[in-house]
Amino acid sequence: MDKNIDQIHKEALSDLARAIDIESIDAISTRYLGRKGIITQFLRNVSSLPVEERPLAGKKANEVKQILSQALADAEKKIKAQNLISDEGVDISLPGRKPERGSLHPVSRVMQEICNIFSRMGFDIAEGPEVETDYYNFEALNFPKDHPARDMQDTFFVSDDMILRTHTSPMQIRMMEKKKPPLRLIAPGKVYRCDSDITHTPMFHQVEGLMVDKNISFGDLKGILTVFVHQMFDDQTNLRFRPSYFPFTEPSAEVDIRCVICKGSGCRVCSDSGWLEILGSGMVHPNVFENVGYDTSKYTGFAFGTGVERIAMLKYGINDLRKFYDNDLRFLGQF
Amino acid sequence: MKTSLSWLKEYVDVEMDASKIADALTMAGLEVETVIDRYAFLETVVVARILEIKPHKNADKLRVCTVDTGKDKLNIVCGAPNVQEGMLVPLALPGTELPGGVILEKGKIRGEVSEGMICSKKELAIGEDDGGIMVLEPHLTIGEPLNNALNLCDPVIEIDLTPNRPDCLGIIGIAREVAAFENKTVQKPETKLPNALNHIKNFTSVTIEDPDLCPRYAACLLTDIKVGPSPFWLKDRLQSVGLKPINNIVDVTNFVMMETGQPLHAFDFDNLAENRIVVKRAKNNKTFITLDEKERHLSADMLMICDGQKPVALAGVMGGLNSEIEEKTTRVLIESACFNPTSIRKTAKQLGLHSDASHRFERGVDPDGTVNAILRAAQLMAEIGGGQPVEGIIDEHPKPSSPHIITLGIPDTNRLIGTSLTKEKIESLLKSIGFITAPIDENAIAVTVPLFRVDVSKPVDLMEEVARCVGYNHIPTSFPLIPAKTGVHNPHIERRSTVKDILLGLGLTETVNYSFVHELSCDRLRLAENDPKRNRVKILNPLTEDQAVMRTSLLPGLLETARRNISRQVTSLKIFETGKIFMGKDAITQPDEIEMVTGLITGNRERMTWHADPQTVDFYDLKGILESLFESLHIENIYIKKCLSDQYPYTRPGVSATIHFENQFLGLLGEVHPEVLANYNLKQSAFIFEINLDSLLPLIPVIKSSADIPKYPAITRDITIIISKKSEAGQILKTIDNLNDKLVETVQLFDVYEGKPIPEGRRSISIRITYRSQDKTLKDKNINGIHQKITDTLLKEFDATLPV
Ligand SMILES: [Zn+2]
Repeated sequence: MDKNIDQIHKEALSDLARAIDIESIDAISTRYLGRKGIITQFLRNVSSLPVEERPLAGKKANEVKQILSQALADAEKKIKAQNLISDEGVDISLPGRKPERGSLHPVSRVMQEICNIFSRMGFDIAEGPEVETDYYNFEALNFPKDHPARDMQDTFFVSDDMILRTHTSPMQIRMMEKKKPPLRLIAPGKVYRCDSDITHTPMFHQVEGLMVDKNISFGDLKGILTVFVHQMFDDQTNLRFRPSYFPFTEPSAEVDIRCVICKGSGCRVCSDSGWLEILGSGMVHPNVFENVGYDTSKYTGFAFGTGVERIAMLKYGINDLRKFYDNDLRFLGQF
Repeated sequence: MKTSLSWLKEYVDVEMDASKIADALTMAGLEVETVIDRYAFLETVVVARILEIKPHKNADKLRVCTVDTGKDKLNIVCGAPNVQEGMLVPLALPGTELPGGVILEKGKIRGEVSEGMICSKKELAIGEDDGGIMVLEPHLTIGEPLNNALNLCDPVIEIDLTPNRPDCLGIIGIAREVAAFENKTVQKPETKLPNALNHIKNFTSVTIEDPDLCPRYAACLLTDIKVGPSPFWLKDRLQSVGLKPINNIVDVTNFVMMETGQPLHAFDFDNLAENRIVVKRAKNNKTFITLDEKERHLSADMLMICDGQKPVALAGVMGGLNSEIEEKTTRVLIESACFNPTSIRKTAKQLGLHSDASHRFERGVDPDGTVNAILRAAQLMAEIGGGQPVEGIIDEHPKPSSPHIITLGIPDTNRLIGTSLTKEKIESLLKSIGFITAPIDENAIAVTVPLFRVDVSKPVDLMEEVARCVGYNHIPTSFPLIPAKTGVHNPHIERRSTVKDILLGLGLTETVNYSFVHELSCDRLRLAENDPKRNRVKILNPLTEDQAVMRTSLLPGLLETARRNISRQVTSLKIFETGKIFMGKDAITQPDEIEMVTGLITGNRERMTWHADPQTVDFYDLKGILESLFESLHIENIYIKKCLSDQYPYTRPGVSATIHFENQFLGLLGEVHPEVLANYNLKQSAFIFEINLDSLLPLIPVIKSSADIPKYPAITRDITIIISKKSEAGQILKTIDNLNDKLVETVQLFDVYEGKPIPEGRRSISIRITYRSQDKTLKDKNINGIHQKITDTLLKEFDATLPV
């Protein structure tokens, strides 16, 4: 016996540490554990040792044999696993295979957002005709024939008695005719005005809202619209309410928010006023309730309307109203 | 409605500056649109010294001055006789917008360069002409803008007045609002006529034949009038609010209208036949020439002011040319009247004639202000026009209005606006804006409405006034309790939004196009004369001819959008729109509004990439989008049928199909007809689908039951058969389906080939059939029978052969 088993063990492990591929592992295996391998031979030679050394040497040699077999197997596994992974990898900088995606029109996006906010407060959603009768669009909303209030909305006529609805407010009448109070609803949709310039398109979108119940007050109107504005913009947005006139509400109020662009210091968007008008609103006029047969001594309510494009412009910093209907994909693709 | 700050301050003594007043007015419901200093243009008119004056080479009357602006020495051509060396003068620099709208430019005057303009007071609208250019005080600083140097500042406040507030169509009305929030009182001008001998009744009379349209008519007469230009202060007032001075008489009527809100009219008394006034409907009078020299066509119901023989004015709208104030006029009859608002509005609308007077009358003037206004006008005409008033006025008042007295409940008021105001507080608020209150009991007050507030007649009108006076922003914000129970569930809206989401996921972008389209859109789509889509709703007053009719198809909008995008180099599009089409009925019935979803794809299937060559979209891209859509919606059993040629003339024959569910027609898909492409100036092929959403959405199942995941493995077998090109490949799938064998799980068509070695007119179709059993692992022997049966059936039904 030229070497003792500990030494063989040490050498075998250091050989193994240098092994870089399956071939060299195979070679080490043959060298130590093969038929003529060093450890095999060592074991064969144990019988030539003095009797008292034999059991210990044999036991030790078998242990080393086992340890080495295990180490060889581990090393082989490791190298095989490494071989599965290509050396070069991929050029991760090449563009991915991108499935094309479509975009929702910003008007739809904002309209949906408005509807979601009111849905969460339990408002129903209703839609109605866009070619509307004079009665629903004006008369029932307390715009008498030949009243100057009609000049507030430039109207497209289809016949003497039929028009393109100038606002979504006819839905107030249509829904109240159908349903007894209490009532909470919003009505999104297209509206039309005979007006076209930088700040007007002949078609645009509104969302109408109506809430009727016992004891609904102007303070409640302020509350609901404040919730809306805070959810639509952010809960730091200041609001102000100022008196206005709509024939179908009284008291009537315009709602301004602190300019989201300049935060109130004055800019082009808010014409230096620091405020932006975003909602028209008011307490439902008793004449309107009478037109739909609601008991004015029992019920009060509020109504409001907001321009969807206006909010979209503020939310997305869109500077030209006409972009909405130009449908340039380079614009639409941004949403 | 406009007022200058200086004019406003004539009636209310306030310290606030214009922007504070503007804010306060806005918050009181009189929304201020703009505040513009009318002297702002003087920023670029500077104090300058004339250094040297030389004659103009080409013009005797002109001279060339060298002028020192403090910064530069400029060459200015000037024609004024009073220029002198050393003088300080106002010099308008290029870019100045002079009153009247001319923007000054540097230029040559008869061959000499002029780098500005030396101005007269009149040219700057700050005074009367006094013999040439304006001469400035010598102590002024050279180079200083003239508005600073002369302390000229007069902001003009423009109010976007709502139609319910005609009381503020006179500056005194605005002053009343300002006084209310500033705790001041309004000072109205004193109106007193000098005594005179001859009483008006000896000269003229007023007869109101139609008191329903004219509840009050006052007249006043002045003699010895000298018509001429107004003094500067009067012209200046009118110009400050954008009115054009005409002559002293007309200017006074306009001035008093702006002051009080009461429109006035002045007649040349000597042009009134029989020197009298009759107020009556036009009846048989058919035409009338108004002041603007236009012939107007009257209808019988229009109210006219007539003399003893003929109409002399369109009541409340515009005077007549036949009684106009002229230079030779010496006797003037002033009219101050109240007319029925509706009647005035009808007349003005019918004639398309909107005047300052009609604007006020149709909103309602203060019936109590009639006499004050006429006295004020007479006094001013006497002062300015040298007129002699005749003693007294005529005040025909057949229908005196008495003020409304409204009972206002205090708890009702607090309940509506959400406040807890005391009775006393409410009374004092109402009093501050001219209402008179008296207590009825603990819970109610009687409120007398001043006549100038024509808009207030109900308790709720008063509640609004209370809320307005409290200030909307001082009303406490509250949150109503909302019951969890909601009303109607609207599945249509949710389902539409699902359809949109799916289309977005499939790569289509949503567009929104106008609901109105070009008159010719039906022709452009090649629709037949009797096509129901030709029953369109026409707009009587369209803005442009390409927005003249309501759409009966969403296609024109999408085609236009495609054209616009392609012209901007965005040549690959996948777009859709959801929206209504309007199927016209008769003139008195609302059209059928049908909601559609329409899509268009054109250009390349994918963007140009490194991993695939771009390919243009075709029919199968379109069909695939729809198949995916229906699958995502879980609507099964939708099928398509090839269109008969020209059934849908906007699609290309042979490349279009209709979409059905059971026996219901849902829409169509196909390639756009080449002629239609040409009509929309499109040079590349496009594929479209249109589906009736109102029909499609209800087909979406509420409940979709899912099947178990199969437990046993499947066996797949492929078949390739060669069939005639005339046979539809889709029929193969249907045929197998019809055999209805339980072991057939899916059938997939995975290859279509034509060309060698397949004979001409035929093509090979390869399908893969997946067999699976629900209760055991299949072996070949289990499916050999059915597979043979399928093969035999296909060979027989399609007259097919197997590949060699
Ligand atoms: Zn701003």
